[in-house]
Amino acid sequence: MEMLEKDQEIDLTILPPASPAPAERVAVQARDLSVFYGAFQAVKDIDLACVANRITALIGPSGCGKSTVIRSFNRMNDLIPTARVEGRILFNEVDIYGPGVDPVEVRRRVGMVFQKPNPFPKSIYDNVAWGAKVNGFRGEMDTLVEGALRQAVLWDEVKDKLKESGYSLSGGQQQRLCIARAIAVKPEIILMDEPTSALDPVATLRIEELLQDLKQRYTIIIVTHNMQQAARASDYTAFFNMNPERAGYLVEYGRTEDIFTKPREKTTEDYITGRFG
Amino acid sequence: MTDIRSHFHQELADLEQTLLNVADQAEQMVGMAVDAICIPDMELAARVVALDNQIDRIYLDVHNRWLTLMARQQPMASDLRMMSVLLHLNTTLERMGDQCVNIAKMAQVTYGLPRSDRIIAQIREMGDLVRQMIRTGVEALVRRDIDEARLLPAMDEPVDRLNRNMYREVVECGPDPSLLEWATRMMMVSRALERIGDQVVDIAEQTAFLLTGEMMEFNENGNSGTG
Repeated sequence: MEMLEKDQEIDLTILPPASPAPAERVAVQARDLSVFYGAFQAVKDIDLACVANRITALIGPSGCGKSTVIRSFNRMNDLIPTARVEGRILFNEVDIYGPGVDPVEVRRRVGMVFQKPNPFPKSIYDNVAWGAKVNGFRGEMDTLVEGALRQAVLWDEVKDKLKESGYSLSGGQQQRLCIARAIAVKPEIILMDEPTSALDPVATLRIEELLQDLKQRYTIIIVTHNMQQAARASDYTAFFNMNPERAGYLVEYGRTEDIFTKPREKTTEDYITGRFG
Repeated sequence: MTDIRSHFHQELADLEQTLLNVADQAEQMVGMAVDAICIPDMELAARVVALDNQIDRIYLDVHNRWLTLMARQQPMASDLRMMSVLLHLNTTLERMGDQCVNIAKMAQVTYGLPRSDRIIAQIREMGDLVRQMIRTGVEALVRRDIDEARLLPAMDEPVDRLNRNMYREVVECGPDPSLLEWATRMMMVSRALERIGDQVVDIAEQTAFLLTGEMMEFNENGNSGTG
């Protein structure tokens, strides 16, 4: 994966006004991204640069393509036979859809946490250790597992029952276990597709609080149906909508505080004030 | 139980601390403005004006931070009441700064005019009372102490009385036209101090709201009628 190591200056000209300050490093960016499922165009011409060590939230009405966009950041769409991607996703200035790029390596470095907690039918310990084992990790596994569980703020709750099944945990704990599993393979970016929609409000707030700690080490991109969650938890917000052909497009992207206090676009204003959607 | 919104609560605490610092500054500005009149000292008056510019800048900054917190964090219950109190406090402190400027400007326009020692003494007394009120009002908020907050209306009473008395003092200067210009300006100083006193009572009422969830107007005994 030498190609992904190149670290060149990122072109910030694609950023919309009032978006990341040039001093902030871009971790991953979509350029002119379109995704098709067969003949249907799911998203159209997306330009979006996500800033390193920040949380970017993707919001918008159902069907606006935000999950499609997030899944294209680690080539998860490859797993759908009819999916086709146009444009580029630049990760360290390398197009992850370019020739010679190994999608498995992409997914190691750009991890994903899903809507429903999906621990493996294994022990808590093995859930976290699994990814590292598969990747041929040769270090001290106990240290790795403990470190990942601590980062996911789960260690204190599970340290005495590491051999118990991942399924024995509550929904919120299972989701933090999945976050620990994602962290254990040392990704640079963590994608989260509605990570709290199956959780109760307290577990949800706990995950949101966890995100604030995780962003010190990782770049986080989160899809959420919950506008309040985007407002609370993210640093940047991208608002997507559908065009008349039902293809998703990016309406507005900027600092979360600006999007929720003085959006530039009327469509954004209407959506976040509940006047459509 | 761990605080699962610790980042938000830290931001809320930071915002409160910013305003408590402004309150301390306002208290010092009252002292400086009164000194500017009583000494009299033009330089001190200019410093009050400069400090007020600082308060105005903080006012705008706090307003922006407040708006962002409100939009992003959806505060509830005591957090929501705290947000309401902070918004109120921000406006009140900004106005207190403006009153200090009003006093400082009177020091500038009356510089060199003949003065009355009795009126000077009365203004100094009002200044001391108002400063003590600010200290008590801030302390009540910091300690979340409703009993301390209830002391404020009684502390404001002598300030109101001295303000009413100022009219008579000025009238007594009447026979001496050279004194009258200075004395009538001092009525405005007295009025500014009286207004600051009222604003501190307002802060105390906000503290009571924070602690009880009831919006109330204190009467002079510190008891409340629902506002």
